[in-house]
Amino acid sequence: MMPELQNASVIVPHGTVERGAKRWWHDYAVMVRWHLSSLRVWLVTLTIVQLLAGVGFVLGISLFFVHVPMTAALFVSTGVPVINLMTVGLILGPQLVADQKSNGSYEYLRSMPVSRSVTAAAWYTVCLIGGVPAMIVSLGVARLRYDLPLHVSPMIVPAVLLTSFAGTMLGYALGHAIGSPMATRLITQLLVFAIFGFAPILVPLSQMPRWLGTLNWWFPFRHMAVVTRAALTPGGHAAVLSAYVVLGLWAIACAGLAGRALGRRP
Amino acid sequence: MMSPPSAEPPAPSTSSAGPPDDWTFRVDALTKRFATLAANDSITLRVEPGEVYGPLGPNGAGKSTLVKQTIGLLKPTSGRITLGRFDLVADPDAARQLCSYLPQVQMPIDSFHVVEAIELAGRIRGASARDVRGRTASLIDSLDLGEWKDALGHTLSGGVKRLVGFCMAIVRPGRLVILDEPTNDVDPLRRRLLWEEVRALGAHGCAVLLVTHNVLEAEKSVDRLAVIHKGRLVAEGTPSSMKAADRSQLRLQLMLTPGTATPALSPWAGPAVRVGHNLVTAIAEADASTAISWAAELTSAGVAEEYALGAMTLEDAYIRLTSHMSGDGDDDGDA
Repeated sequence: MMPELQNASVIVPHGTVERGAKRWWHDYAVMVRWHLSSLRVWLVTLTIVQLLAGVGFVLGISLFFVHVPMTAALFVSTGVPVINLMTVGLILGPQLVADQKSNGSYEYLRSMPVSRSVTAAAWYTVCLIGGVPAMIVSLGVARLRYDLPLHVSPMIVPAVLLTSFAGTMLGYALGHAIGSPMATRLITQLLVFAIFGFAPILVPLSQMPRWLGTLNWWFPFRHMAVVTRAALTPGGHAAVLSAYVVLGLWAIACAGLAGRALGRRP
Repeated sequence: MMSPPSAEPPAPSTSSAGPPDDWTFRVDALTKRFATLAANDSITLRVEPGEVYGPLGPNGAGKSTLVKQTIGLLKPTSGRITLGRFDLVADPDAARQLCSYLPQVQMPIDSFHVVEAIELAGRIRGASARDVRGRTASLIDSLDLGEWKDALGHTLSGGVKRLVGFCMAIVRPGRLVILDEPTNDVDPLRRRLLWEEVRALGAHGCAVLLVTHNVLEAEKSVDRLAVIHKGRLVAEGTPSSMKAADRSQLRLQLMLTPGTATPALSPWAGPAVRVGHNLVTAIAEADASTAISWAAELTSAGVAEEYALGAMTLEDAYIRLTSHMSGDGDDDGDA
């Protein structure tokens, strides 16, 4: 016996191929919901980890000094936002993709009828949602604890957007363009180690060997810290423009790599 | 990748495969090679709107390769795949919009509530919020999933999760609905409900590609079958026509006593297949009484525990065509 259909209209097979801006924005809104729902179980944990990491780094400086120097407090407190902005896109993102590849759901996600740019834009939005509140709380705690002379300029908007975008796209490329899930996980772990210990985000460039500083110039993390600090502290900042350029190039290159990998049909 | 949406939609990639209202799914001389292995070897088939078509085949036969090429995850080495006027190989965006897909693995819905997962899947396929809400409620009711509708995916049993995935695939069906082992882990009662929904898809004009190992279940559910073996389509037809070659024969099944060797078959028996303790062979109808006497003797002697003589099934035809035994619920691992 034929099952009764409460709503006959929606059973009509989808018989058109829709393209263009209207469909793009529809898909974007739905995919943001999809990504947020797919993180639901982890959302509370993720928020706590983000807050603990941000506030922990800010308050942790006082363990090193009896009287915390303002320079140190300012340096670490303005580096923490970069960590908050990168965590979801660069660390969690590729590990989620690696999991999808391992459990077989990756092919279903690739078969969804949305464009690659929609999926990437929606994921970037979720990374911002996951990073910006923790960044604000970390800065607030730093301001209260150390009475920091923060000067938030309007450039914080492009700095946050580009820092998060570059981190998200780098993570996107690691997740999608590397075939082996295990390799993706290992590289992500290595990145965590490198970012916290050997990038001038929480550690000043002046404390690093010259070769490490030069090496860092070629990677995006130093430039993320430069643009973010420039938007949070007063005074002129060297190399901001070049930092924006390098970050932009990294973001475009990673987006291209991930896009190619997603669209590849072996 | 992150380019803004195009204001000028590109022209759809179309072919001359059919007029605008023709939604026939056509595969023409499709070949897919991985190094020297031909996973699909010059496969040609067509599925009409409203038809439930079942590609059957053992592990590695090439069924999944066919599906992945259809939905744009693999590119054919040669040949064409069209749905109506759309060339699915040239236009993978069209393939993803026009084809609904239930993969063999479970859907990634651990963090989703059941209703939310189905509704979002419908929204992603372009349905309005109102339409998708009504259709989701209808599907949950039809498949008797009401008690789990607010549950989170990670709390569901494998069978219920499978049914939710099925709902996600058909909440707003494409012109071609591809279902890969949809009844895996599903209880017998809800299997029946699921098959009714599959038939409803056909009644509403969807072409359904039903990939399965489960020969006996497929026999009851599909309009036509295709047997794919080693990448080639070796037989195609209705379940009845596939069994036609076996009409003058009967199926003799012996349940052998554990620990006994396979008994020597008499000349009147056809080639036998033994799976576990089951020995199955074909005999001519004229030899029925002889076969029964022989089987009764074996049972009396303790070689077999029991025997059964009956009509040949589709599974026998399938085994004859592929020289393989298919089991319910096997993992695919298909090439």
